[in-house]
Amino acid sequence: MSETADIRRPAWRPGAAAWLRLIQAEAKMVIRDYAGLIVPLGLPLLILVMQGISIEERGQEIAEGVTVFSYYALPVVISMVVATIAVINMPSFLATYRKTKLLRRLAVTPASPAMVLVAQMVVSFIQVVLGIGLAFAVALIFFDAALPLAPLTAAGVLLACCAAMYGLGMIVASIAPTPNSSVAIGLIAFFGIAALGGMFGPADNLPEVLQTVGSWLPFGASVEAFQSAWLGEAVEFQNWVVLGGSAVMGAGVAGALFRWE
Amino acid sequence: MTQQTAPLAIDAQHLVKRYRQKTAVDGISLQVRAGETFGILGTNGAGKTTTVEMIAGLRRPSEGTVRILGLDPFTDRAQVRQILGVQLQEAYLHGSLSCWELVELYRSFYPDPLDAQTALAMVELTEKAKTRFDDLSGGQMQRLSIALALIGRPEVVILDELTTGLDPKARRRVWSTIESLTEQTVILVSHAMDEVERLCGRVALIDQGRVIAQGSPEHLKEQAAAVTLEDAFVALTGKDIHDDEEDD
Repeated sequence: MSETADIRRPAWRPGAAAWLRLIQAEAKMVIRDYAGLIVPLGLPLLILVMQGISIEERGQEIAEGVTVFSYYALPVVISMVVATIAVINMPSFLATYRKTKLLRRLAVTPASPAMVLVAQMVVSFIQVVLGIGLAFAVALIFFDAALPLAPLTAAGVLLACCAAMYGLGMIVASIAPTPNSSVAIGLIAFFGIAALGGMFGPADNLPEVLQTVGSWLPFGASVEAFQSAWLGEAVEFQNWVVLGGSAVMGAGVAGALFRWE
Repeated sequence: MTQQTAPLAIDAQHLVKRYRQKTAVDGISLQVRAGETFGILGTNGAGKTTTVEMIAGLRRPSEGTVRILGLDPFTDRAQVRQILGVQLQEAYLHGSLSCWELVELYRSFYPDPLDAQTALAMVELTEKAKTRFDDLSGGQMQRLSIALALIGRPEVVILDELTTGLDPKARRRVWSTIESLTEQTVILVSHAMDEVERLCGRVALIDQGRVIAQGSPEHLKEQAAAVTLEDAFVALTGKDIHDDEEDD
């Protein structure tokens, strides 16, 4: 038959209002399912307080205005906030969306499933900022902590840390077949990199081999880079390589393996 | 313009879908005219869902072509998404959001959507506007899915297993909603004979990935010398529609 209708029209793509609605939707999902906020906000606070109590001579200055506590605890806590959100929470949301075919539902609208991923990242970043703000408030009020001597460097490290942890999170989201397995893989990955990066005490206390391994993983590299920023020193090149490399590797693996359904 | 002379809204030619060893769809051709409500009927595993997913652009055919109002759902994806409304067989929505929030979210994806009030009223969910999706009954979830499929004022609507799992009252409410779609071209995928017979002007019977017969319910009954569409289906396919086979 030749009488097929043809209604060529300009392609239309969802605009700013749709992005805003989707970000709002993702934020509401996170807020209303508030149990998911306990780990990224509560666990780092717990570690912060434990380190604050247990670190001997926490108030001793190791550089002008930088206490032992600020140097050891805050870099670990910031890295934890980012890692728990990017490596545990975000892949779990994506795995749930994939399992329930929510992404597939969006794929038949003018919105792309990739919009959900971006909205998730925006909401996650807001959580990161809140988590860090909360940790800083407790650290400043109760433990006389100090802000980094090189705040711009610290901000740059934070962005690199986010990119690296999201890279790792996307690998988890790509290889996890179910929401439960996503949480399991995310937790193992998180505790693996965090333990070697100084979450349970300064990495300097670990055997040398483990210290070396830890510094080549994103958590350890992030902690070392933040410590440099706290002292107002330049971040070591290796730290940038590890953080950047993790982000690139994560994007590559996700590009090859990530499934929307 | 009558339906017989209306232009083709959907033109699917020689669709084939292979998954490694298995051929799920084996040369299906369907032509649906603008304004028509067309049924696709078959047992579980017959290839119904795979066929409509290829038409909707969710699965790329191994062979064959699809045109929706002259557009290719893969190369003209953005345009097709504007004119196509799809209710998928199994698809969840953001569970913590209310009906109103979901409708507003999906409205934002389209250039000229229905207003939220109208969309909810159309499926009789106005009173549930503030209820979260997770707290809706199965029938209410299904009706909300239909509202979201229609929110962008689509010209072509695909409804997959519209009333599966609904009680008789909920099924009738959903049918009334579909009967009110007089402007749209509708493809209705089902294994419910009564539903197809009531709603569809023409039906394709699908079995093992092929179209076994096609025509109006009356024509199919005549062709099989059967009293009911179910008898016609059994006579033409050799299978009971209620046989439980593997999923599509």
